[in-house]
Amino acid sequence: MTTQSISFYERVDGALHDASLKTALSRATERFIGNRAGAIGALSDEAALRDTARAIRAGALSRLDELLAQLATNVESRGGTVCWASDGEEARTYIAELAKARGVRSIVKSKSMASEEIHLNHALEEAGLEVVETDLGEYIIQLAGETPSHIIAPSIHKTREQVSELFHQHLGVPLTDDIQTMTQTARTALRQRFLKADMGISGVNFGVADEGAVVIVENEGNARLSTTVPRIHVAIMGIERIVARMEDLGVMLQVLARSATGQKLSVYTSMISGPARSGEEDGPEEFHLVLLDNGRSKILGGEYAEALLCIRCGACLNACPVYQAIGGHAYGGVYSGPIGAVLTPLLQPDLPEAYMLPQASSLCGACQEVCPVRIAIPDMLLRLRADAVKAGKAHPVEKAAMRGYVMTMNNPAVYRAGGRAARLGSRLIGRKGRIRRLPPPLSGWTHGRDFPTLSGTSFGEWWEEREKKRKEAAQ
Amino acid sequence: MSRDQILSNLRTSLASSRSWLAGEAQGASHDIPPYVLPPADNLADQFTAELRSLSGQVYRVGDDAGAVGQIGAILAEKGASQVIAWDMREIGLAGLPQLLAARGVALAATDIQGGGRHDRLQELEPASICISGVEAGIAESGSLLLRHGPGRPRLASLLAPYHIAVLRSSQLVRGLGDALAQARSRYGDDIFTATSNLTLITGPSRTADIEMTLSLGIHGPQEIHVVLIEQAAAAR
Ligand code: SF4
Repeated sequence: MTTQSISFYERVDGALHDASLKTALSRATERFIGNRAGAIGALSDEAALRDTARAIRAGALSRLDELLAQLATNVESRGGTVCWASDGEEARTYIAELAKARGVRSIVKSKSMASEEIHLNHALEEAGLEVVETDLGEYIIQLAGETPSHIIAPSIHKTREQVSELFHQHLGVPLTDDIQTMTQTARTALRQRFLKADMGISGVNFGVADEGAVVIVENEGNARLSTTVPRIHVAIMGIERIVARMEDLGVMLQVLARSATGQKLSVYTSMISGPARSGEEDGPEEFHLVLLDNGRSKILGGEYAEALLCIRCGACLNACPVYQAIGGHAYGGVYSGPIGAVLTPLLQPDLPEAYMLPQASSLCGACQEVCPVRIAIPDMLLRLRADAVKAGKAHPVEKAAMRGYVMTMNNPAVYRAGGRAARLGSRLIGRKGRIRRLPPPLSGWTHGRDFPTLSGTSFGEWWEEREKKRKEAAQ
Repeated sequence: MSRDQILSNLRTSLASSRSWLAGEAQGASHDIPPYVLPPADNLADQFTAELRSLSGQVYRVGDDAGAVGQIGAILAEKGASQVIAWDMREIGLAGLPQLLAARGVALAATDIQGGGRHDRLQELEPASICISGVEAGIAESGSLLLRHGPGRPRLASLLAPYHIAVLRSSQLVRGLGDALAQARSRYGDDIFTATSNLTLITGPSRTADIEMTLSLGIHGPQEIHVVLIEQAAAAR
């Protein structure tokens, strides 16, 4: 709510001047980067693993129609039920009606970006259901009444002091500085929620077409509890999150864990195919798979199809200097960081100012460099900017900025000014196939003035400068 | 109907992007064995080192009697009076039922299906120990693959704060890819016929959601104890 009612400019400005957010973000993203670097360093052939991951994802998407139908058929043959949801409304209605029909009162949820995307919790609460987020980070932000600020670590923006204060307020426990104590407080509070729940709702990291299985990756065990203890399990999967064969997991699970958190494998990976079989003493009596389209089937045919390769590892967020400076909430959508700047205008186009998100990038190329499926995020951001200008949405300052980027594209010498930027510049120039895909207005623009960001300027300085220009332009 | 609409949208979309995607799919073999470490001389050593680096406990014993002795020591240390366990036949460790009986440790009733589910879960909750077998151990990552099913409840590696798993060195494989390939060759198309769930476990439950600071035992077991039986060594 709050994040959407104030403007993109105000959010970024607020984030840049929020000292405790800055502390939390820098403590966390530095840790992430270090972990990831450690894990990647141990790899004998990391490049080959990433090439394979990209090939597997692209191959699955190239047959998405066939694989999705196969997944659904196999889930049904294992006794599960499949809901094909064209949009958020269909998914929300299906789940709310199912809960009503089965006399569900209490629901436990494990982390699911797709459910955030369709604002599921809100709809279920409206229907009179009690919904508890059980991932520690999600639980913290649910208590705080906020939305996730990071794909992997939703409460990355909170300091320990703030968490302690929340637990003190909501759970009546004494204030503490000790993180292990806070963790145990959450365990105790949430355990009873699990044991009393009638329905568990989870996301899906991968749908495995040949086995009719969904794969859920986590570290805490809350997804295992959510999918084992309650009598009904509902899994929500974006339709693009598919792999063809169980064997593909041999690559994908390792790539995901390494890129996300720097682990060799995440602590728990559940592969679930339908409800409990006869003789199984636990597990749900009913299994429902919600296949969520919400614009994805159209995106697949357009120039942003590559974004559908994303496995939501979050590495591009941690690597991004803009994300490091402003955090996830400033992006305003469910998905933040570089990939969020691409996905939000596509998946949540009605969000006011979604078109501005592609501006929130310095195009330094760090995101593409760390992406385990090598998504060309900077290229897509450029194209989205061009689209916004074409649609008459972009601001004069954005247009000026755009000219700056275009100049850089045409003039690699400018890029060579700064380390990382130079590397990207030559890569972009070297990838001729990509450049040709830029839409006509961009290709028509030529030299502008200064390159608006990068190199010596920090994002913060650049932002101040840009704000000044914007205010002048508005007068 | 949404199913037909979604599939038809996908077909329309793929008409323009299929060739690009198919080209990208050919950018690399899909079948590279995805090893992440150089081959190790000894899988048991590698498994042990990896799991210990994640704060897991590994006890290497020569035979079933050694394993039973080790489990007895853990039960004593934790003061366990009730365990949530797989069916004893599924664990397949000679002497384990006798150990539990001798120590007066009760086996909790693990069947929560049907009416009274919430009540039975409340009865399971106080148990302090889980005991399970495994399907395979993965040396490169210190992971266990558990194939759940009748007699192999999922809660027996999940609900209590301490999880004891019985692993035999013959069950060790090098990488995740090998574990999946082995499941495929063992069960063919029937991996999920008699069970709805396969789970990989790599170390104790953990979270880093508060300031990225590691904290163990948030929802699953905070300690994992793997009793590794190295029979080949015993036979020598
Ligand atoms: S775009 Fe790449 S790096 Fe970013 S979340 Fe997706 S897969 Fe990870």
